Amino acid sequence: MNNDLYKKLVDLYAGRELTSELDADMEAAAAEDSVLAWDMVTLRNTVDFLQGDPAPEYTEESYQRILMKLYARGAAIQPKAPAPAHLQYHLPIQG
Amino acid sequence: MPNDAQQDSLAEKRWLNALAEGDPSALGGIYELYGERIFRYTFRMLGNRTDAEDATAETFLRVVRRSAELRADGAFRTWLFRIARNLCIDKLRQHKLMELPPDAQYSGAEERTTLRVTVHQALNDLPLEYREPLIYCDLEEMSAKEAADILKISVPALKSRLYRGRRALRDKLGSAMERTP
Repeated sequence: MNNDLYKKLVDLYAGRELTSELDADMEAAAAEDSVLAWDMVTLRNTVDFLQGDPAPEYTEESYQRILMKLYARGAAIQPKAPAPAHLQYHLPIQG
Repeated sequence: MPNDAQQDSLAEKRWLNALAEGDPSALGGIYELYGERIFRYTFRMLGNRTDAEDATAETFLRVVRRSAELRADGAFRTWLFRIARNLCIDKLRQHKLMELPPDAQYSGAEERTTLRVTVHQALNDLPLEYREPLIYCDLEEMSAKEAADILKISVPALKSRLYRGRRALRDKLGSAMERTP
């Protein structure tokens, strides 16, 4: 396979969409071509970094605040468990 | 025994039928099923917790308002994400006007945290056309078909945007991506 074809396969290589044989062929070609190697490594690292990026934390506080917003806007919805005390609204005691 | 995806699909069907019948507990069931995924998605799109919580709540309110359009035929999730997406795009337009900064809440080893901040800033700077496929396919691990359905484009068009988006992000990050993250 010539290097022009390998260049076209870099996107698939980066996303791990190639067969293991083609993957190995690409890596062998990259050993002889520093531009191709840079393209392959940096693009695959970019994809790996994104795919390994931890999801935003869905906290109990967020869960409860969203429920409160739904409830405040008139949705018939109840939390699966009572909100923790620090998330509950308290009316001031008068008198 | 059904797997998680099958159980979710059965639960989705049950709650959508309940919603169609006016069962008041249905929204709670749908929120339990999809609340976290919609929150994660809106957070990724908007970059801050407060807006993500607002957008998530509004998404589920719209489910109730538009429940007449609902069909429990497997397309619900796509429809739900489309609602969330439209809300996010509206909020992003407001952000552009107000120039709100994204949250900067990161934790972890210092070098990797610095890289995460850099990657997230670069991602936020990408045009939406490139950023969305990266959020759906790389960050949220959706299939190309599902992402294409949400964006109402073909799978080849989605893949083309995904590949160009990855390259655009890599080009912004430059040498930071030369070492294994």
